[in-house]
Amino acid sequence: MINAEVKKKFRAIVGDEYALDSDLDRFGYSYDSSFVPLVPANNPDMVVRPLTTEQVAAVMAIADEHGIPVTPRGAASGRTGGSVPLMGGISLSLDRMTNILELDEKNMMVTAEAGVRTIDLYNHCAAKNLFFPPDPASWKMSTIGGNVAENAGGMRAVKYGVTGDYVMGLQVVLADGTVVNTGGKAVKNVTGYDLTSLFVGSEGTLGIVTRALFKLIPMPKTRGTIRLMFGSLDAGCETVNRLLQENIVPAAAEIMDKTSLDAVARKRSAAFDPAVESCVILETDGEDQAALDAQAKRIAAVARECGVLEFQVAQSQAESDELWAIRRTMSSAVAALAPNRIGEDISVPRSAFPEVVKRIKAISEKHGLTIAVFGHAGDGNLHPSILCDLNNPEEAERAHHAADDIFAAALAVGGTLSGEHGIGITKKPYIYKALGEAGVKLMQSVKQSLDPKGILNPGKIW
Amino acid sequence: MNKTADEQLLLKAKDQVVQCDRCGTCLTVCPLFAFRDTERVSARGKNAITRALAEGGLRPTDEMLSAVDFCLLCQACVDSCPNKVRTDEAMIDVRQYLTDKAGGVGIKYKLLGGVMKRKALVKMGAAALAAARALRLGKLVPFGMAPEEFTRAKFLEAFAGPAALGRPAAPGSAVPSPAAKVAYFRGCGMEMMFPAAAAATRDILGTTTALIVRDNPCCGMPHLAHGLRGDFLALAKENIDLFADVDIIVTDCGSCGGTLKRFGAYLAADPAWRDKAAAFSGKVMDLTEYLAKVGYQPRAKVDVPVTWHDPCHLVRGQGIRQQPRELLKATGKFVELKEADRCCGGAGSFHIDYPDAAAQVLARKQANIEKTGAAIVVSGCPSCLVQLAKAAAASGGKFKAMHISQVI
Ligand SMILES: Cc1cc2nc3c(=O)[nH]c(=O)nc-3n(C[C@H](O)[C@H](O)[C@H](O)COP(=O)(O)OP(=O)(O)OC[C@H]3O[C@@H](n4cnc5c(N)ncnc54)[C@H](O)[C@@H]3O)c2cc1C
Repeated sequence: MINAEVKKKFRAIVGDEYALDSDLDRFGYSYDSSFVPLVPANNPDMVVRPLTTEQVAAVMAIADEHGIPVTPRGAASGRTGGSVPLMGGISLSLDRMTNILELDEKNMMVTAEAGVRTIDLYNHCAAKNLFFPPDPASWKMSTIGGNVAENAGGMRAVKYGVTGDYVMGLQVVLADGTVVNTGGKAVKNVTGYDLTSLFVGSEGTLGIVTRALFKLIPMPKTRGTIRLMFGSLDAGCETVNRLLQENIVPAAAEIMDKTSLDAVARKRSAAFDPAVESCVILETDGEDQAALDAQAKRIAAVARECGVLEFQVAQSQAESDELWAIRRTMSSAVAALAPNRIGEDISVPRSAFPEVVKRIKAISEKHGLTIAVFGHAGDGNLHPSILCDLNNPEEAERAHHAADDIFAAALAVGGTLSGEHGIGITKKPYIYKALGEAGVKLMQSVKQSLDPKGILNPGKIW
Repeated sequence: MNKTADEQLLLKAKDQVVQCDRCGTCLTVCPLFAFRDTERVSARGKNAITRALAEGGLRPTDEMLSAVDFCLLCQACVDSCPNKVRTDEAMIDVRQYLTDKAGGVGIKYKLLGGVMKRKALVKMGAAALAAARALRLGKLVPFGMAPEEFTRAKFLEAFAGPAALGRPAAPGSAVPSPAAKVAYFRGCGMEMMFPAAAAATRDILGTTTALIVRDNPCCGMPHLAHGLRGDFLALAKENIDLFADVDIIVTDCGSCGGTLKRFGAYLAADPAWRDKAAAFSGKVMDLTEYLAKVGYQPRAKVDVPVTWHDPCHLVRGQGIRQQPRELLKATGKFVELKEADRCCGGAGSFHIDYPDAAAQVLARKQANIEKTGAAIVVSGCPSCLVQLAKAAAASGGKFKAMHISQVI
């Protein structure tokens, strides 16, 4: 609970309209896009929506003084409950900080506030022929603050890396309201600890990101899309692996199994050949059409050796948009197959992709639950989705066992719990297994020194 | 409505909203969220409220009713949703549920329901207007604008040049199936606010067929949207019976059309009405849909630029996008409107209930219209036309708003 006196102070900082505490408004900031149930609600006591770094700093100073928990929130598109205010207190929503402050074309860098939507930043840079590569499937709604906090990946990670690979510097408000600026435009920079990297992927537990400086690269001149259908998931994985070994690096290489395909077909009233067991969508890019054609030829040759059933090069922008729309809506379409979906985000060495998929299929049979599998074949990051009804206690039990088994399988093949969604609430139970006692302890001591009162996003990660 | 029916309604809404993945795609397309960006305004927020209500995590309150009421029902969220969650339908169901629970529709709408149900109303009786005024619904019937701006003669005078003036409507080039009995559905909004446009529709239809015109009651959309479901169903049944013997029912109102086409769906669970309702809905066509089918050629050419605003209930409600554009291209210089299918803020009676919000939604529409350089923005729904006429006035005469019947 925040007492009336303190609430008044928050209102004075951001303005009445942007400090919300009605029942319904508090409920609106109690959830994200994870499977953490809506009910019972994890309501914040107040939603605070600052417009400037100064306001964020002032809010933090008061929260620190009174020991009030603060949970940062971007667009709440997170998949692990990161922005859910588990301990009440303040939901600090950064979605009003939407200025793109500077596009430095000479240095190929852009500075933006935390609440800028990923796609808006991409388009802003693209207009100047500059490329901001990190593209989580949620880029239409996710914020760059959330992307930095989760070190979000995307389809193009296989060739271009993840959000963290582009962060050159950050403006961060610490737990006590101090504002620090890390990194900068100098490409080489080893002055002191790499604090920028410390905040990347810290899930809002170490500080509030208010600004980010990203490096950019020149926009690829042309792009192409290829869709491949296979009679088995293995053949799809094998193809992607072989491509990378032969130094044919697609800009994106996404794979989906039959269950996932059917989910999309249901929503888009499309139909697929019944022999198809997996689909791979590739993005290619290059200097010109001839380069794309050459790549497509080489890809086709490899795919044929792996037994591809259908090989289709998108002939128009519309066709390729349609193919990517299928992939971007996949996650939500799969979620709609059952009352609940426990979506995971394991990441394994690329070579272990077929093996872990095999193990997941066995887990699915063992527990009698459908598990849809799709993901980023190019970088070994996959999203097994357990379809279940959590209102049925017996099924819920089975679903949780299946999730345990999936994590165990990921660790067994040398992988890890999360490739891009973070730990948040939903993967907390597995953190010790993944990092070991010593690993978690070290993280806790980092947390302790940055946030001694434990007010920043309490209850997350471990 | 009894308790079990209430609970069923909530369950029906729940079936929709549990499909919501809370991904937030809808936040980026909602015309209301664009300027009032708190979570409860978004479709995701409304779906979450609905689910929590159905799962017992939230209690029905006035605050909740006002949250689910603050929705244009424009379906922009549905369109963009990966799972096609029908937030609009869920909102209609939840409004009904909360209304029954709390016993309080805006009393205004209970009265409005009574007025709209009276057949006399669609006859455009002065009495009905007086009644509406007595209920302080005056703003629903903007007297100031109807008479002059919206007559075909005025339109021709202004845009078509002297040659077109007074010329009788040329015989249509359409070839309707000679046997088909075609009826015109008289919409309340059209008859009350744009009688001249409604008359123009009948003229046009008259060139293609021996048009049947009857004293039909309201389609029931206002009732359905505001927690008067019982009235809606009664009106639906009355209409179904009234048009049982015709083959095609043409409407010049996007909202009426969207509603009439769903009678089948709304009565699917009622064995006595299911088949009749489905048959009825199968006969309904929007004016532009019908004219495209029969190959209608516009009566006069105009050489001013015209543009088209897609009514929500036409474009997303019925999937009609091309037909009106083709008709306008055949009439004059058609220019495409940016964000043509974005709601104008009319949304039935939304603009009366939330004038400030509607004005904000409209401002964006107006700016887009002005950018086209069109002299006329054309549409096919009275609720849109009321809004667009406001925009036209605010633009200081840069453009006019007209119903499509008055242009083609
Ligand atoms: C359909 C769908 C597809 C997705 N696809 C991908 C994908 O391909 N790749 C991927 O990586 N993720 C994906 N995600 C997950 C999610 O979109 C990302 O994690 C995204 O980065 C979250 O951004 P957000 O603005 O919604 O953050 P939120 O969900 O609001 O918050 C996420 C976390 O970041 C913290 N946070 C937010 N803003 C700040 C800030 N300014 N300072 C400090 N901490 C902050 C929050 O406290 C929370 O812990 C997907 C999600 C959905 C719904």
